Amino acid sequence: MSSDPNRIFEIRCPIHGFITLNSWEREIIEQRPFQRLRRIRQLAWTDYVYPGAMHTRFEHSLGVMHTASLLYDSIRRNSSELLKSELAYNDAGLDRHSQLVRLAALLHDVGHTPFSHAGEDLLPQDEAGQSYKHENYSPAIVRRHFKDVIENHPTNTNYDFKAEDIASLLEGSQGAKQSLFWRDLLVGQVDADRMDYLLRDSYHVGVQYGTFDLHRLVATACAVPGAKGQSPRIGVSKGGWHSAEALVLARYFMFTQVYFHKTRVAYDIHLSKGLAQLLPDGRFPPPDDSGLDEFLKWDDWRVLGMLQQGGGGEHCERLTKRDHFRQVYETPEIASQKDMDDLQKIREGLGNLLAAEQSATKSWYKTGDPDIQVLDDSRGTSAAAPLSKYSNVVKNLAKNNQIKLFSRPEDVEKAVDKIREIARPT
Amino acid sequence: MNKIHRPGLISYLAKKTPHGWLGRTALMKYCYLLQSVRGVPLGYRFTLHTYGPFDSSVLNDLGTADALGLVRSTFEEYPSGYGYRIESCVDPKKKKLDDWGILESHRDSIDWVLREFGSKNAADLELETTIIFVGRDPKSKNLDLKGLARVVHEVKPHFSEADIFKRTTELQDKGLLT
Repeated sequence: MSSDPNRIFEIRCPIHGFITLNSWEREIIEQRPFQRLRRIRQLAWTDYVYPGAMHTRFEHSLGVMHTASLLYDSIRRNSSELLKSELAYNDAGLDRHSQLVRLAALLHDVGHTPFSHAGEDLLPQDEAGQSYKHENYSPAIVRRHFKDVIENHPTNTNYDFKAEDIASLLEGSQGAKQSLFWRDLLVGQVDADRMDYLLRDSYHVGVQYGTFDLHRLVATACAVPGAKGQSPRIGVSKGGWHSAEALVLARYFMFTQVYFHKTRVAYDIHLSKGLAQLLPDGRFPPPDDSGLDEFLKWDDWRVLGMLQQGGGGEHCERLTKRDHFRQVYETPEIASQKDMDDLQKIREGLGNLLAAEQSATKSWYKTGDPDIQVLDDSRGTSAAAPLSKYSNVVKNLAKNNQIKLFSRPEDVEKAVDKIREIARPT
Repeated sequence: MNKIHRPGLISYLAKKTPHGWLGRTALMKYCYLLQSVRGVPLGYRFTLHTYGPFDSSVLNDLGTADALGLVRSTFEEYPSGYGYRIESCVDPKKKKLDDWGILESHRDSIDWVLREFGSKNAADLELETTIIFVGRDPKSKNLDLKGLARVVHEVKPHFSEADIFKRTTELQDKGLLT
């Protein structure tokens, strides 16, 4: 461990400038399960479409900690009375939870599979038959692999955190107590995760779609009181609603132009199906004591090595030869019931010519609920309203439920002919 | 197959709720109760927030239901603020549960959630589902009702511990905590 627990470190970041770390956070980053994030690309195989997309979960995790910290400080400044009256905070409690939120943000992605979301469909099911998500692995890894560095670092004498405190905040369970309020900074509508990944992904991909005014959004972030006895939530003050609108639009554009790009989606399909052949029993190990160590051995490097050795069957061969499935049909972005009925006819007509399909609603990058709480305290009263009250754009931003159909390259001509035949007016 | 068409369920709940429309909090908490208490296999993964059990997939399904024309979702101004209003748009000729993509075997559970929780306001739903979430967590198995109320109070300090204890006792009496 570092000899000076009070030393501050700086890391250069193309998005945020300098990200500062204390010696405790630096020690956490040194741990092997965190260093593994250097070997997990943020956007999987996207570099085959956008060659710059080679960034990793490592730098994203640093960026989320940095952004969460900015948001926390701003909300504390803007809403200190509400935090004290509704959530029973005092200044010491707010100081303590500032560090808790930083650690949770730093560790929120340690449970990712190789190639990020592309491998996520291969996580096993729990006893109730529900598929695990990477969000289930991160807290389990914190409890098992970060306990010592969290609880025994000299800096923790000031906080007395248990690994359980961070794990509970990450997983959303009662152990997090009043700090659950801050969970929205990790998985909410105004969260540090999406703010960082939109800016970072657009920077590396080389598009301008994901940009918004981070500084204005941070400056106007606040706690919004709940109506009629409901709990407060994190939102923005009225002065920040255009920045919030820009965040929603950035998400929409990044989804349609990058995350749900037809070729990127095709590569995700190959990666998932190929990985299923490389994994024992076709699934990653579960997030329990028997499976976590094995799970952490999986990273992009290991998978790429197996691919180089010729593993993974047809799908990995298609990946390495860039001989990917081709999109042959897509519904409108906002598909009606009639569009879905037409799609079903095409599915049935294509038969074996249909190699795979992907739905926007099942995508890991789905856009989610666009509404953000906006607080108007300009007239001496605090009234909250959804962003869609202010923004016509957000109000009319309907849910993207597009579905894309893919065929093997050698079948594309036949598939397109078949689709024309089915779509022809009778 | 025991699966439910989730956007269809949202439309059905909006149709059958006592007010004839649903708010977002009610929708979220009904889905939580159906899955966690009644075992209806909706496939959501609820986690705890200050405002109770939540899974963003429910709101994604609401968006899908809207896009498919199964519901119309708007918001309205009330004296206490703004709220969402989710109304069913399904053809009234649809009579059977199957028309919504829901198996008949789930009818009892849906009737139960609307009967027991259909008249509660958003704040009550937030609090009671939080108590149920905490009470059903294996980590709470050694807590008595006072201990349980204390833990919920730590999550939701704007409610008094006495009020939480009273609600906890009521929910325990209804057999909803285990």
